[in-house]
Amino acid sequence: MLELIAQALYSGVLQGGSYALIALGLALVFGTMSVINLAHGELVLLAAYIAYTVESRLGVNPVLAIPLAMGVVCLSAMLVYALISLIRNDREINTLILTYGIGIILTNGVLLLWGADIHTTSSAWLQDAVVVGPLYSMHSELLFFVVSVVLMAGLWWWLSRSWYGRAVRAVSSNRDAAKLMGINPRLTEIISFAVAGLLAAFAGVALYSYGVIQPSYGHVLTVKAFIITVLAGIGSIPGVLVGALLLGITESLTVTLASSALQELAGMTLFLLVLFVMPNGLFGAARRRG
Amino acid sequence: MKAFYQKLGLTAVTALALSAQSAMAAEFLVGAEIPLTGNLARVGSGMNEGISVAVEVFNKTNAKHKIKIITADDESAPAKAIAAVEKLAGQGVVAITGGYGSNNIAPASDAANKLGLPYITSGGVDDALTKRGYKTFFRINNTQGYQKAVVGLLGDMKVKSVSIIYLTKQATGDLAKDVQKELEGKGLKVGTHAFDPAITDFKPIINKVKLQDKSEVILMVGYENDYVGILRAAKVLKPDVKAMVGVWSLATPKMAAEFPDLMPSVYGTALLPFPAEFKTADGKLFADTYKKLYNKEPDYLGQFGYVQSMLLFEAIARAADKATLSKGGIAQELSKTSRDTLIGHVVFNEQGDNPNFVHRMGQHQAGKINIVWPADAATGKINFPGVPW
Amino acid sequence: MKSSRLTLVGLLLAYGVIPLTLGQNNYVMSLIIASLVIGGVALAWALLGNMGGMVSFGHSAFFGVGAYVSAILAMKAGVPVALAMVLGGVGAFAASLVMLPVLRLRGPYFALAILAYAHIFKIVATEWESVTGGAGGLASVPRFPVLFGFDLGSKLGSYLIILSVVLIFVVAYKWIRSSYYGLALRAMHDSEDATRVVGVNSTLLKALMLFVSAFMTGVVGAFNVHYINFLEPDYAFNGLWVTLPIVAAIFGGYRTILGPLIGAVTVYLVDQLIFKNLIPNGHQLILGALLVAMIILSPGGLLPLLRQRKRSQHHAAS
Repeated sequence: MLELIAQALYSGVLQGGSYALIALGLALVFGTMSVINLAHGELVLLAAYIAYTVESRLGVNPVLAIPLAMGVVCLSAMLVYALISLIRNDREINTLILTYGIGIILTNGVLLLWGADIHTTSSAWLQDAVVVGPLYSMHSELLFFVVSVVLMAGLWWWLSRSWYGRAVRAVSSNRDAAKLMGINPRLTEIISFAVAGLLAAFAGVALYSYGVIQPSYGHVLTVKAFIITVLAGIGSIPGVLVGALLLGITESLTVTLASSALQELAGMTLFLLVLFVMPNGLFGAARRRG
Repeated sequence: MKAFYQKLGLTAVTALALSAQSAMAAEFLVGAEIPLTGNLARVGSGMNEGISVAVEVFNKTNAKHKIKIITADDESAPAKAIAAVEKLAGQGVVAITGGYGSNNIAPASDAANKLGLPYITSGGVDDALTKRGYKTFFRINNTQGYQKAVVGLLGDMKVKSVSIIYLTKQATGDLAKDVQKELEGKGLKVGTHAFDPAITDFKPIINKVKLQDKSEVILMVGYENDYVGILRAAKVLKPDVKAMVGVWSLATPKMAAEFPDLMPSVYGTALLPFPAEFKTADGKLFADTYKKLYNKEPDYLGQFGYVQSMLLFEAIARAADKATLSKGGIAQELSKTSRDTLIGHVVFNEQGDNPNFVHRMGQHQAGKINIVWPADAATGKINFPGVPW
Repeated sequence: MKSSRLTLVGLLLAYGVIPLTLGQNNYVMSLIIASLVIGGVALAWALLGNMGGMVSFGHSAFFGVGAYVSAILAMKAGVPVALAMVLGGVGAFAASLVMLPVLRLRGPYFALAILAYAHIFKIVATEWESVTGGAGGLASVPRFPVLFGFDLGSKLGSYLIILSVVLIFVVAYKWIRSSYYGLALRAMHDSEDATRVVGVNSTLLKALMLFVSAFMTGVVGAFNVHYINFLEPDYAFNGLWVTLPIVAAIFGGYRTILGPLIGAVTVYLVDQLIFKNLIPNGHQLILGALLVAMIILSPGGLLPLLRQRKRSQHHAAS
């Protein structure tokens, strides 16, 4: 029994790391622009399919697809930003519906371009097992967990130390004051979206390496990313990691101890619980509600 | 007002013309209600290919009667399946072939029955489908056929314990429970693990099988992406089992081609080996026509689609000869079917089911698929014990 | 009174002309009925958005709950279909009670919290096999009865039922909008604090709008299950019951009453008859593009856009 739980926790932590990578882009944009990009999951999926194309056409390890994925996804993220900035009134609600529509376009676009078949990496190295005592995992899971933590650390450092990072935080807390200080809000918003695209690219390639992808998966990813963003609370990068780990472990334990048919239920219930009890998330700065 | 009467008159004349046409002409319209889009699109297109081959073969070998197919997409959705059947009925078809997924076939065949159209399928194995008392519903396969194959294979393996990992959908859940009952009746120890369609990481379940069940064989009941996930997790955790057995959509050339590192020694239901060898004249004609039309080897979906449609067309021809078309003749002729086909000898019982249906088990061996059960249909030796790692 | 003449023409068209001309064409009637089902949900969704100020991405929750409650009551408790439909709406209303805690959340949180509820209900429907038939669902759900020799279960009968149901909703929506509640809610939109000062209980009003929207959607879901005679979790809680009403409402005019309805009929028919033939596998892409275009160009919908065009033409002329 103990072995089972240990493996469940281990798998859950690794899975959580990957979830964090997926959620990071959404959380960043939400934190800086107060905008939820409901098409974020589809951007991640796009990167995953690019990894598939690179692997199947060129026969190389999908990790090498990252540069191409970054390019395409960042471009797409820019497009999304351009469309969002065209909205005049009722920004919050209309952006929500707009990105929802973009998500539908992307999902169906992926379906048209790549078909409905499922795909996953055929690289043997990525799938091989790594055994640490009684704990098993795949190379890809460990690799991308490390990548995820490194990227998160990098992002956190960038937001707190660099000029653009601090500009982003300034704009998100008070846009007009930031303008007075000589910061171009538009530029910082564009940068946030670009960084979100970058993160989505990594997340997508990771997804292809350790999991199975199909067109309908984009929506599922967006929902998971949103749940983690809420768990984390707005404006907290470490919170995203903690939230993601929490979700990963909850799902894993539910599958092991109860039935795997309830995995989704656990995630949704966790989400609602946090919304009721701690709407600002675990680490969120206090914000006005309602 | 005048325009209204004109329209009425036109409609009446057209109706008369259409009805006259269907009585005299040697060409018969048959509807194919298929999922061409949605999540069943892949299996739908496979079945569709089989139906088209049947049309080609039938028209070539039958001088007197010709068949023309009208296809309607049911979008893998129940409501659209009903709409597709109604659309086909409105276009004057005399029967419907097709359908995939018991969830779509149930309402679609309901609608067909109300319209008096015979409905034949190979995509609905759910038990409830044949318990409705319809005289117009026919199917050439059923859950029992899959059950017999799996239990037969496990019997040959002489194992004492099995773990069943199954998807919580109707067809998969029912099969899993039926197999479990039968195996336990034979004295085997059976552990069952259900999973939700949203699951992608099967390591926790495999771990449970490895540490708690400690079974000799893992039986997987799900669809393609489930098999891939389970096999990957098993490759990582390496449970001490002697065989990985699946059911439909696993022992296929497609899986062998797309996931070659996950398939070795894996078992699944398969009608014919791959590369396919057809020994009968009927089979050779089928394979050749398939190659000609689609430039590829037929798979089990095409085979099923072919058999169900050929039986229907032949019944239509017989009913036309006896001039009973408008008196429910097609359904009557179908119920009298007794014919050797690619899937064995087919008859239909009172409920429209094919009680003779027994599937076969194939095993992936060195990139090919060999039939390993039943012994009289075997094309290769079983590789047991054997796992992909 | 131009609008009342228009109304009369519209009613004549809906109740008279369409049944006479298209009544026998089963396929087209199926499409119209399906579009009216979407229209009903779109109306309820727009009501929640307009009156309650809350955008929801999970209306499929109410649709599915309404369908299941109605089907189960009719099949297992022998409740007559008409009553079961109403009780389906009540069931959806009960489901919305469970959602009260999320009412105080801001826009995006609320929208996705409702989605979480939809997922949860779907899982409950799948797991609670003894009651809901599990993943296989319920087949042969009772159809509409024969009334005075007229089979309400036929295409024509079903059409008349859904048409009437939707029109009742339109009237109800109109009544709410012009009532005290409507006034208070619109004032709330402008300034929630001010209305609170005046003594309007904003949370209660928002809750009432949620209940109404849930009830309406539940009734429509119940209608659908007795019309199709079949139900399963995937179908009952499908994402299409979320996407299509949103596209319909935005396209037709989110802020108007008839907008969502007209939008639903138009979008659904065009999608099924035209788009599906253009791009069989992924025609929803066009719907997504439509949504994006509408939100950017004219969030108020097509009607305001046309009205604007007309107005500018007039100006140019004069």
